Amino acid sequence: MEFKDYYATLGVARDAGAGEIKKAFRRLARKYHPDVSKEANAEARMKEINEANAVLSDTEKRAAYDALGSGHRPGEEFRPPPDWDAGFEFSRPGSGDGAGADFSDFFAELFGRMGGARHARGPRHRGEDHYARILLDIEDAWQGASRQISLRVPKLDDQGRVVLDTRTLQVQIPKGVREGQLIRLANQGAPGVQGEPSGDLLLEVHLKPHPRFRVEGRDLHIELPLAPWEAALGAVVPIALPDGSELKVRIPPGAQSGRRLRVPGKGVPGATPGGLELTVRVVLPGADTPRARELYETMARELGFDPRAPAGG
Amino acid sequence: MRDEDLLIGTLLEDACLTLEELCSACAVSQDWVERRVREGLLPIAGETPEAWRFSSRDLRRARVIWRYERDFEAEPELAALVADLMEEIEALRARLQRAGLA
Repeated sequence: MEFKDYYATLGVARDAGAGEIKKAFRRLARKYHPDVSKEANAEARMKEINEANAVLSDTEKRAAYDALGSGHRPGEEFRPPPDWDAGFEFSRPGSGDGAGADFSDFFAELFGRMGGARHARGPRHRGEDHYARILLDIEDAWQGASRQISLRVPKLDDQGRVVLDTRTLQVQIPKGVREGQLIRLANQGAPGVQGEPSGDLLLEVHLKPHPRFRVEGRDLHIELPLAPWEAALGAVVPIALPDGSELKVRIPPGAQSGRRLRVPGKGVPGATPGGLELTVRVVLPGADTPRARELYETMARELGFDPRAPAGG
Repeated sequence: MRDEDLLIGTLLEDACLTLEELCSACAVSQDWVERRVREGLLPIAGETPEAWRFSSRDLRRARVIWRYERDFEAEPELAALVADLMEEIEALRARLQRAGLA
């Protein structure tokens, strides 16, 4: 367990007043708020800041923390985040104001007893839902995949204290999930109190950016590079889809760069499958060999083509 | 349940969460949600609280509002304004990405 210097986290002196702590917290919360922050480690920092604030803004917890003395040194190693990219959030048992908190072992060790006692006295209720964001590759979202995710979750140990536990789940991602959709894993949330059922785990899906594929709603967008003769004369070109299959698409003659072609039914799979949207981009071969130069010069001479001529003129 | 057991996820369709489910997923009280719905800060589908249904987008919005109220002691209206602006930025960023500019 690492010692956490909460005063250093908020950048305040040990004798800072409540107003000063609040001000420091808000300043840092603004800087590291995951919704707006551009700092690389914003999410991890925000968790530390939340944790420090939860202790220092609470008279009871702050007094308990101060009682540890000031001779400790903060742990040197930073705790690595869970191995899935987006953090996991949970609410503290027995309190309605704790969602979004993901506190350290240090916090749990110090204040676990408080949480545990409060929890045990609580009325019967169904376990709370847990909520997490997961980042999926477009390929996995497209065809469904079995994926392992690791969550850090609070649980009560034998003495009724809150401890953090790493839990690994093997999850079957349903086929055809889209950005922003929720996947519900029944009864995988917080345990219920006094025999009530557990809550659910809700996973909010986000898709990783992909160099070739872009999914928008149910549609799959792909940029389609074409050689000038394919664009001019029309062609049948193979297109690789996220499931690894290949689709042959007929390109009509005279396709210009930027032209969009839609293939219905070939978008994100599902009851109402989306479409495949292709955006043509004509790619010119280089004129870097004598033969290529010759061909370009022949076109220049014989086509009489002026790309700057007024449209329709 | 063993860790290695395969869990089968259920895909929630749009506008699918009940009031109770939304509260549970945000760790807020029904009262909190009802007040924000009455004040027009959270959109709803359905007439009575029992019939209300929320989408994953609404869930995200509720969490943003709740977080700004907590972290900055923001008035609900101000927190909702932040949520509006963030949704707008998200939409604009998506357009930038579509245009190949992001």
